[in-house]
Amino acid sequence: MLGKNTRSIGALSLGLVLAVAIYLVPGMTGIADAKEAFAEQVFAEEAFAKEVQAEEAVEGEGEPEIEWSQDVFYKDWEGNPLKGPVSGHPAPELGPTDYNTYEFAPSRIILWVANQQHLYFGSFVLAVPIFCMIIEFIGIRVKDEDPVMAAKYDRLAHDLMKVSLTAYSWTAILGGVLLFTFITLFPGFFKYMAGIFRPVMHVYALMFLAESGVLYVYYYGWDKMKEDKFLKWVHCSLSVLLNLIGTVLMYLANSWATFMQAPGGIDSQGRFLGNIWHVIHSTLWNPVGVHRILGNIVFGGGIVGAYAAYHYLTAKNEEERAHYDWVCYVAMFIAIFGLIPLPFAGYWLMKEVYAFRQQMGITLMGGIMAWLFIIQAVMIGLLFFGANSYLHNGMSRVKGSHRYMKYCKYMVLLLICCFTMWMTPHTIVMTPAELKAMGGAQHPVVGHFGVMSAKNTAVNLMITCTVLCFLLYQRANKKITVPWATVGNCWITAIFIGAAANIIFLGVYGYFLPANQRVGLSVPQVTSTLTTLFAGTAINISMFKDSESYGDIQWGTQSKVGTYAIFLLAISFTWLMGLMGYIRSAVRLFWHVTEVVRDNSADAYTLTIGEAGKMLTFNALFVWVQFVVVFWVGSLTAKKIPAKAPEGVPVPAQQQQ
Amino acid sequence: MNKSLVSFLVFVVGLAVFHNAIFPIFTPKEVGWILNRYVYFLLFVAYLIITNLALKLKPPIAMMGMFVWLIGFYFYKFVLYPPIPWTLFITYMVMWSIGTFLFISQDPETFREFRKPIVKTIVGEYKLARIIVFTALPILVGMATYNAIYPSYLEPVELRTVHPAPPATTKVHGKTYPLESTNNPFRVDEQDNYKDSFPFLDADKQEYMKYVTEGGTIFFQNCHYCHGDQLNGLGMFSHVFNPTPANFIDPGTIAMLQEAFLFWRVSKGGPGLPNESTPWSSAMPPWEEHLKTEEIWKVILFEYWYTGWHPRTFGTESSTAGGGE
Repeated sequence: MLGKNTRSIGALSLGLVLAVAIYLVPGMTGIADAKEAFAEQVFAEEAFAKEVQAEEAVEGEGEPEIEWSQDVFYKDWEGNPLKGPVSGHPAPELGPTDYNTYEFAPSRIILWVANQQHLYFGSFVLAVPIFCMIIEFIGIRVKDEDPVMAAKYDRLAHDLMKVSLTAYSWTAILGGVLLFTFITLFPGFFKYMAGIFRPVMHVYALMFLAESGVLYVYYYGWDKMKEDKFLKWVHCSLSVLLNLIGTVLMYLANSWATFMQAPGGIDSQGRFLGNIWHVIHSTLWNPVGVHRILGNIVFGGGIVGAYAAYHYLTAKNEEERAHYDWVCYVAMFIAIFGLIPLPFAGYWLMKEVYAFRQQMGITLMGGIMAWLFIIQAVMIGLLFFGANSYLHNGMSRVKGSHRYMKYCKYMVLLLICCFTMWMTPHTIVMTPAELKAMGGAQHPVVGHFGVMSAKNTAVNLMITCTVLCFLLYQRANKKITVPWATVGNCWITAIFIGAAANIIFLGVYGYFLPANQRVGLSVPQVTSTLTTLFAGTAINISMFKDSESYGDIQWGTQSKVGTYAIFLLAISFTWLMGLMGYIRSAVRLFWHVTEVVRDNSADAYTLTIGEAGKMLTFNALFVWVQFVVVFWVGSLTAKKIPAKAPEGVPVPAQQQQ
Repeated sequence: MNKSLVSFLVFVVGLAVFHNAIFPIFTPKEVGWILNRYVYFLLFVAYLIITNLALKLKPPIAMMGMFVWLIGFYFYKFVLYPPIPWTLFITYMVMWSIGTFLFISQDPETFREFRKPIVKTIVGEYKLARIIVFTALPILVGMATYNAIYPSYLEPVELRTVHPAPPATTKVHGKTYPLESTNNPFRVDEQDNYKDSFPFLDADKQEYMKYVTEGGTIFFQNCHYCHGDQLNGLGMFSHVFNPTPANFIDPGTIAMLQEAFLFWRVSKGGPGLPNESTPWSSAMPPWEEHLKTEEIWKVILFEYWYTGWHPRTFGTESSTAGGGE
């Protein structure tokens, strides 16, 4: 997809699709339920065995009595609360002495900034190794056929890693700042968390050590392991290891946040019940993890894209322009690939939140946080607009794209209509006079767009439209010559029309179903959308075999509007990430740990929308200032190697044959 | 004749004729088919496209962008009925404007073409246009400022949470009800099963219909003055309240909620709302002071029966509370 050999890269593209599917499918199908059912059984047996042991122990002479208590979340096979031996202290009743403050800002705000900055950087340094792994792998695969292109990929991966290295130290520093902020401002709460997560924190620290070790070997061994084929593969494998450790690190850190939001493994007094896995693996752990992995990829793609876009706009010569145009393309490709499944991971997370506490779900979607979700809807719409604008503008510089450019306006129209539906609020802000003119609180036409049936339909159509746009981009300069071209085109058309019809039908049907059944309709809707993504891409790529090219892509000719769209995407990602993080955390309202540790500080209030917006904007701007500094530091060591002009302008695989 | 000018005239004259002559035909004073006005709008758009294609006018992209934007404006301002509130209008127009921008900037060629007249106006190649634009701009800004600071006597709008998160439990007539697990007692049969599939189709069940009828009687004695005899929130007193009474026909109200949620809302009324839902602005009395517990449940039963909605249940989803593992 990003290199010369279409066939092998086509397979890679499919691999990428499948990799995303692997993350998502467990959440979308019943596998997760089956796993949970199995886990329930295991836990029930385990609990039973422990109970018997405990009884025996009690009956025996001189044995100390073990106190057993009920878990706040986990249940046994019969639906009764799981029991576990009390192994920790009860949650403290926090008082004024458990909180420290500064004069200049509320403690909660300071902690928020520290946390958010660390998360932004953490997200970036976790995403970059994923890119490097993919890009280096592509470089190795195309080396035999196109050494120039392979060198280009290798250089890109190496450059990204260099930036990541600086960002890595920065992340660690911000992590330290966060830790000290937490300990100094919320000592009482930190003591409780440390009591529960003590072993996890140590494992986390050790994993950090392992991550650093692998990272340094990976980066500093780059040149030494570059030439030998075997060593290069070993080097690439190191990136896989790096990503695995990074993922474990992230999941461990996630467990603290998910425990605070939806605790498990403790009793109602907050006493640890002896099973650390229960505490880690609370109900939101998996969806938050998947959502964050995808989010990291999108965020990282946005930042790399913005970095490349800046260099593209300020490039001094054609070669540099061509290079950074190409880097923009690679970054956007990865970001959009992460963006497409991201809403589904979000749905899964929300489903689990509702499952944990319906109240928490209502607070998010219909209650005090609902207006923030409206803002989120606007931001997501902007992302899709930005992505499509980039694709349209990128397509226009490909020879042969005139065949498809005429469809762009219809796609824009569809996007706008869907977006209108997507962000029409159920409760409209209006004056009494307007209310009177409308004849009631609900508008008889657009009022129907305020419920989930319409929203699901709109977002699925928007994603399907983006997928279609991407497929057209892929084939923009190709003259399809396979004998089954007509059949293939018919299949693609049928898949898209079928998916759209199914999505719309289910959307309308949802209005006639009880709410609990209506929720289930989102699964076939999502399946339709994913079918267009997987099957559409697969058929499309298969049709490129032996295709003729209308001409090479003109790297370095990307329009300014398309380039600015990348900045829009990057800033939107940053802001949106902060917004959703705030919502996820703030939904605990006046709890540190939901229903277990109450927040008794002076800051235990929910911010107004305006105040929250200001903080989010501050965080987004602050992190971008830091990114600029990090990129600048990274560029200090850059050696100005004159880029070797490849013969002919480099062309991504799908534009070639 | 200049083709751009012809295209412009086709738009302006066409709009004038359509709006003044044809629109009234499609919107007679007697209530007609609800989609009439939208059919009219599609006809107008079709007229524009066909005329431009037939006369091979090919207006410049800047003009096309303007047409597209104006069509959106015309639709949201004049065609969509009843008129939408200002906040929604602005939202829609921002979106439509973004869409128009995407349309004109879809490739560098069209964008360059779009910019051309703007640049020419600014640098002074189009002298008359420059004079008009730079004279009109301060006047427009002045008018906008005047409008913005002119005192308005309308009460300010406020963001209000319509479906607040309910408390975990509610105490009514001395008994505490956990909201997540409380069901309507009149919907539970002999086997203690919660009837969760369209009981209103089961109309021959006389016992069930008896409760529904009793609920209806209570509704018309107490509730319909505000919530309306069609349960659409348009009762005889409804127009004097802000916010207006809930519209139960709307798919976004009771259709999305558990019966226990309604039980809490009916029992506690406006004063029982949390702060984000502005309890001070709700006129609904706490009905626990006027109705018995079973009467409240019967009214709820009637509301679902009448509207055809089904109360939300969570039993059939994998989301049984706390049942993760």
